[in-house]
Amino acid sequence: MQLFRYTKSVYGGQEQLIGASWDLLPWFVAAGAAFIIVHVIVMTLANARGRESH
Amino acid sequence: MSELLSEKKGIAADAPKRVMRHALIDRFYHWLMAATILVLLATAFLPILGIKFQWVEIHWITGMLLAGLVLFHIVRALFWLDWRSMMIWLDDGRDLWRGMRHTLNGGAPPVRPGKYNALQKLYHLGIAILVLAAVASGLLMLLKIDTPFWRRDPYWFSNDTWGIIYAVHGFAAMAMVTMVMIHIYFALRPDEWYLTRSMFRGWISRKEYSEYHDAERWKT
Repeated sequence: MQLFRYTKSVYGGQEQLIGASWDLLPWFVAAGAAFIIVHVIVMTLANARGRESH
Repeated sequence: MSELLSEKKGIAADAPKRVMRHALIDRFYHWLMAATILVLLATAFLPILGIKFQWVEIHWITGMLLAGLVLFHIVRALFWLDWRSMMIWLDDGRDLWRGMRHTLNGGAPPVRPGKYNALQKLYHLGIAILVLAAVASGLLMLLKIDTPFWRRDPYWFSNDTWGIIYAVHGFAAMAMVTMVMIHIYFALRPDEWYLTRSMFRGWISRKEYSEYHDAERWKT
């Protein structure tokens, strides 16, 4: 998995940075989903513990 | 309601029945900004995902609108709103720690925040950095396109510099996908509905104000 996108420079063989790699997009979506899932679990457990203590 | 009864119920009796949280212009700004960011993300990523259409013009025009909205918000926040209410202070670090301990270990309940809690302030800081990075890099990219106002000039920067500008824009955009997901999630949580409602109707109730906020830290 690449972090950046490159192309060959027209002036020679050197690689040219052209931007971020779009292969990372699913990872950013997954990060958002993971945060939401973990938060739901933590809050559900915390609320259940709060109800038990009352 | 008597003062004693108010104290007993923990309700700020001197607060109005409806506590104004967001003025109409600020709500309008929020929803217009939300729409522009969603249009920008859609025009950016749908073509990458295979849904091809003429996206460049919509994208840069909406980007210019976002730049204008950001400028409006900065000026309004500095001169009309209480910008200090969004600043992260040492108290917020303490509140964050207490909140985490309370949630994870059942420690003492956290202190009620002012208008915005520590997590909201952190979110605002994060999204501000990302939006400013995307807008700044996006404005520079306008040099590469023909518009009714100017002719393109891609030689303003070297190829290496353009690569960095595009990389900043791309990473900021992808990170905004994550942040938008998180923001919509919190807006839909039942325990946060009073805040979501306030972004439509502008106010929260006296009871919500007393329950969720410290009247000393957010004076109405």
